[in-house]
Amino acid sequence: MTLTIFHNFIRISFLILLQALIVSRMQVLDGFILPWVYIFGILMIPFETPKWAVLLIAFVTGYIMDLFSGPMGMHMTACVVLGWLQPVVQKLLSPREGYEIVQRPTIQKMGLQWYLTYAGILTFIHHFVLFFAETLRLNPFFYHIGHILFSSIATLLLMTIGQYLIFAQKGND
Amino acid sequence: MKNIIELLKRHFVFVLFLFLFIFSLIVLFSSNRYQKTAFINQSNDWVGQLYDWRDQLQRYLRLREINEQLALENATLRAQMSENIFTIDTTIFSENDTLHLQRFSYRTAKIINATVNRESNYLTIDRGSIGGIHNNMGVIANGSVVGVVSSVSDHFAVVLPILNPKFQESVKMKGSGDFGLIAWPPGSDPAYADVKDIPKHVQVNIGDTVLTTGYGSHFPSDLFIGFVSELNDRPEETFHRIKIQLATDFRKLSHVQVVSDILKQQQDSLLNQQQIRDDANHLP
Repeated sequence: MTLTIFHNFIRISFLILLQALIVSRMQVLDGFILPWVYIFGILMIPFETPKWAVLLIAFVTGYIMDLFSGPMGMHMTACVVLGWLQPVVQKLLSPREGYEIVQRPTIQKMGLQWYLTYAGILTFIHHFVLFFAETLRLNPFFYHIGHILFSSIATLLLMTIGQYLIFAQKGND
Repeated sequence: MKNIIELLKRHFVFVLFLFLFIFSLIVLFSSNRYQKTAFINQSNDWVGQLYDWRDQLQRYLRLREINEQLALENATLRAQMSENIFTIDTTIFSENDTLHLQRFSYRTAKIINATVNRESNYLTIDRGSIGGIHNNMGVIANGSVVGVVSSVSDHFAVVLPILNPKFQESVKMKGSGDFGLIAWPPGSDPAYADVKDIPKHVQVNIGDTVLTTGYGSHFPSDLFIGFVSELNDRPEETFHRIKIQLATDFRKLSHVQVVSDILKQQQDSLLNQQQIRDDANHLP
């Protein structure tokens, strides 16, 4: 249990640093595509973690991310929404018997399709809230939607690649 | 109270979420000018719209009061319009020359009323005693004779024009200098007048110029009166019957000048003294 927490903590911290120091500096298409891979850490919080814990962790992650980037409060808002919805989505997508306790939502455990749905929904919602909090507007509509969409896809891609890289072996970590 | 706590406990996560969410929003909006202004602008839009509606309602309710104010303002402004203001003209054109003593001074005025088609006609000008106009001053326009001032009030004066049987002025033929009197038959054509008392031995032709003599000190000498247009001489009379076309078009008169003889007083008193002496000596 403590180990899991420790692992998660490391993961999240690493991802935040990765995001802040490397990924955010990459200007793809003049900032049209902007991946936020630190949410990978939140998404990887094991199943059946108490909801309030997920919420708080997400909140703190968002706060730290805020310290690194731009106006305060953007990431906080987006991560809080993410942290709240993550258990909700998990429950929505739960297999018939429910999840195994203390299991990470990885591809290996749950299958690619499940993972893509799970991560896809949450990523999109997170990016939507994030970019909306940034500009507080949705016109021009298609530009912003495209912005959110493509950034989500980029994040998803990176996260999936990360999945394969990190969780190379089958079985518990 | 207990129910609320129960409620909170059941939906603890959601409550926590709300709390954190609102907290994040507060941080977002308070620490970031862009978000703040965007929010304020938007809310300003909404609040502004509300104010606008309220304002329209208020303005509708005040319509009567505003109407009355506007009517009053209209009247005040209209009274101030230049057409409705009578400016007192006191300008005098004269020369100040010690060697050549100025004899005549000129004051401009505008005709504000005129008749030309009656038996006896009068003109009214917009300058009166305050503007320096006095009785018996001559009135000319474009260098030709119009008439003589016959009565004066503070701001107006009445001019006796040539087109009035009472008008009498001595005139002369330009070429020979023989003088006669101009007379206008009552109710006749306003473009023509008669010249009397030119003896038949004086050669008079159609087109000859008729000028003022300068006697009588209404007018300077050599101002235009008119041009000879007809000769209707009768064989039994000793004087010509000269009809002249007047140089002044009385139907189109608008701006005139009022002439005043500065030395008239001196001339008049001299003549007066002579007459007094004649009377004293019982001379005719």
